[in-house]
Amino acid sequence: MEKIVLETKDLTKRFGSVTSLNRVNMQVGRGEWVSIMGPSGSGKTTILNILSCLDIPTEGQYILDGVDASALTERERVVVRREKIGLIFQQFHLIPYLSALENVMLAQYYHSTIDKWDATEALERVRMGHRIAHLPSQLSGGEQQRVCIARALINEPAIILADEPTGNLDEANEKIVLDIFRELREEGRTIVLVTHNPEMAEFSDRVVRLHHGRVEKEGVGHETKCV
Amino acid sequence: MAGDKSGARTNTWMFLLILWKSLKVRRSRVFITFFSIMIGAAIITALSSIYFDISTKMSRELRAYGANFFIGQKDSSGSRIAEAREIEDALAMVPQDKVIGASPYLYGVVRLDLGNAVLAGVDFAGLRRLSPYWQVEGRWIVVDFDDASCMVGKTLAKNMELKVGSQVTVIRNETGFQRKLTVKGIVETGQAEDEQIFVNLALAGRILGQEGKVNHVMASIVTEGTDIDGLASRMQNRFPGLDVKPIRKVSYSEGRILEKIKGLMALIAFIVLTVTTLCVMTTLIAVVSERTREIGLMKAIGADDRGIVLQFLTEILVIGFAGVLAGMAMGFVLAQILGKAVFGSAISFRFAVLPVTLIPSVCASLLAAALPVRMAVRIVPAQVLKEE
Repeated sequence: MEKIVLETKDLTKRFGSVTSLNRVNMQVGRGEWVSIMGPSGSGKTTILNILSCLDIPTEGQYILDGVDASALTERERVVVRREKIGLIFQQFHLIPYLSALENVMLAQYYHSTIDKWDATEALERVRMGHRIAHLPSQLSGGEQQRVCIARALINEPAIILADEPTGNLDEANEKIVLDIFRELREEGRTIVLVTHNPEMAEFSDRVVRLHHGRVEKEGVGHETKCV
Repeated sequence: MAGDKSGARTNTWMFLLILWKSLKVRRSRVFITFFSIMIGAAIITALSSIYFDISTKMSRELRAYGANFFIGQKDSSGSRIAEAREIEDALAMVPQDKVIGASPYLYGVVRLDLGNAVLAGVDFAGLRRLSPYWQVEGRWIVVDFDDASCMVGKTLAKNMELKVGSQVTVIRNETGFQRKLTVKGIVETGQAEDEQIFVNLALAGRILGQEGKVNHVMASIVTEGTDIDGLASRMQNRFPGLDVKPIRKVSYSEGRILEKIKGLMALIAFIVLTVTTLCVMTTLIAVVSERTREIGLMKAIGADDRGIVLQFLTEILVIGFAGVLAGMAMGFVLAQILGKAVFGSAISFRFAVLPVTLIPSVCASLLAAALPVRMAVRIVPAQVLKEE
């Protein structure tokens, strides 16, 4: 494994009496694509929230790029999200009154300085160069997801975290998004992806299967269908 | 360095773009907030314009009830006649801008063609300002040195069969003075003046053989911002032979009425501000609820609390300033309507109205934004983004 970028040590998350994650140990190396799979309620989204510094564990440690992210303050976690993480959501979460280009520039705005040309380039990269002035309501689900991906990539984050990126897409758009992820892997990006989709997971380097908040099994991507 | 400046400029552009578009997309909410603030500011502007103008207006209204200050000879002196010069010196202690009107009075009994009457020597110019409520048939005497004319009380005119333009002979038996005067005006006051004949003070002095003397001076003094009791006390100390006293009935009721009206206006302004604040707060809470996911997303991709607070406060300040400015313009028009309806005259523009309206209105807007902004800051992105 390449240098470890992301590591969890006995990561536990409880919501009241419900244990969502139970002593999860996981490592992701630089440039690796790891898919997290599992049934509903297995803790996939919870672990992704912690990995993206949107939440903190109840117990255990989350080491991100050598820093104990579980011990950071809210303000420090905001900085980590801004600087190191690119987030891709199942529901896209685009600002409805901003155009595709402006939605991408929003991530630049919170990160450092907006740059219209860089944002346009990011949209062109996800095959959305022809729709930059369109509002989210004027875009299809697949197009909105591509804008969401461009927004996640615009600040060159160390890690890309995606929650069911193809969950709301039709087959054609699913393929486009999958191609984009494959390109990202070829560029050496670190990707952690939560998915129900075995075809998506098939292309990943490793699959972590969660069940009742525990790591049930780990395997390589092409073994997904038989795990 | 140039890059930093250019970056700051482009980020400012982005900030303004988000601001503009987020306001534009919520036109109805923005309009409700703007309208609430505008109505609040309009009422405060109207009330404060009247508040600052009311002293003058009320004084003018209450001046119709006559004099509120008396300077005369002390009863204990044995004489009711004082030196005109001394009383003038006493009156000079009142700041000129506070004196609405003042007139000396010199009384004596004279014989007219058909019987006796009380003759009053006055300063007609001062008397006219002092007693604007007098109903005059004919004209006021306007010239100080007019010693060929007189004004006659309505009852006396009736008894002596005098009309405007009639000639009347005034005789003072003790001095043997006799003069034919033309009746310039007939006055109706509903009081003792209706049975008196009025001439210029100088002429009265000659008729009565009391030149340079007066019985007393009646004055109308602005009570707002004047310590009437203190003034009377200082005057009394300096002129111990004089009897100096405010006529409490008018001056006190004027002050009390003013205080009550001003208190009522302040209370109304406070209630209006409170209602405005609640209305704006309710609207903003609805806005934050609508934007929960948007705020969660902003936080997820790197917005800190400061950025969220800045965004919301700027939005409310923009709406607030626009509402206050529109409200001030509307309030000034409203003040004119109220001024015409209540006082029969326009309300003057006063700069003091600007901070009195602007500061509480903007503070109310910020206060109204406090709870919604707190709600926005407390949004947990992990919670709101996973909701379907």
